[in-house]
Amino acid sequence: MLTTHLRDEDLLFAEDLAGWRDAIELVSHPLLARGDIERAYVDAMIESIAAGGTYIDLGYGIALAHARPEHGVVRTALSALWVRPAVLLGDEPEHPISLFFCLAAADSSSHLAALASLGELLSDDSARESLLAAHDTAGALAVLTAGETR
Amino acid sequence: MTKFLAVCSTGLGSSFMVHMNIEKVLGELGIGGVDVDHADLGSVSRGDADAVFVGRDIAEAAQGLGDVVVLDSIIDLGELRGKVAEAARRHGLTD
Repeated sequence: MLTTHLRDEDLLFAEDLAGWRDAIELVSHPLLARGDIERAYVDAMIESIAAGGTYIDLGYGIALAHARPEHGVVRTALSALWVRPAVLLGDEPEHPISLFFCLAAADSSSHLAALASLGELLSDDSARESLLAAHDTAGALAVLTAGETR
Repeated sequence: MTKFLAVCSTGLGSSFMVHMNIEKVLGELGIGGVDVDHADLGSVSRGDADAVFVGRDIAEAAQGLGDVVVLDSIIDLGELRGKVAEAARRHGLTD
């Protein structure tokens, strides 16, 4: 279920980003390029974080960026971006993020299976550590695939 | 039936993850009789649930919703296990 959404082109790695805005732009890129989201959706995520939306910080340096479907979601999609070193979400020192997920949910139910798998994977200490430690697409896919078969 | 509600700003992302994890933890703890759901902050009123689980960033906004349980991490099962067990005790589900 997870690798249905998180394919090779949806797994990105970046170094030395200027800040969280760059991270949101980058993690949105595969979705935007494929037409899964409209530009307005990226702006909505950035505005929401700038307005204090650090609630997307899941803990352990992982953030789940998303906005409401009506802000420009065409198709349900998911992407991920590893950032080294971590950037500060909302420029707040208490929110260093090294792994960004971008969730575009077309409605309130179509994304639930993928999100349930992701939540399960991230709640597992060893799987989460392996995922955070991934350095390339193949390494990340291996963790995501192992997560599906558990 | 006792109702636990996971709440986040959009009702789409983290609240669903917390919802799933509360169900998982209740199962592990062998606690039944709890209806778990998730929602966005704007659509929840005081009295909608016996306990409302939120991330720390919306803790202040959720203050008026009754028994509010604040989570430091959305995906820390250890933390959630402890806080769900306490909430279950407060609402008379366990001794």
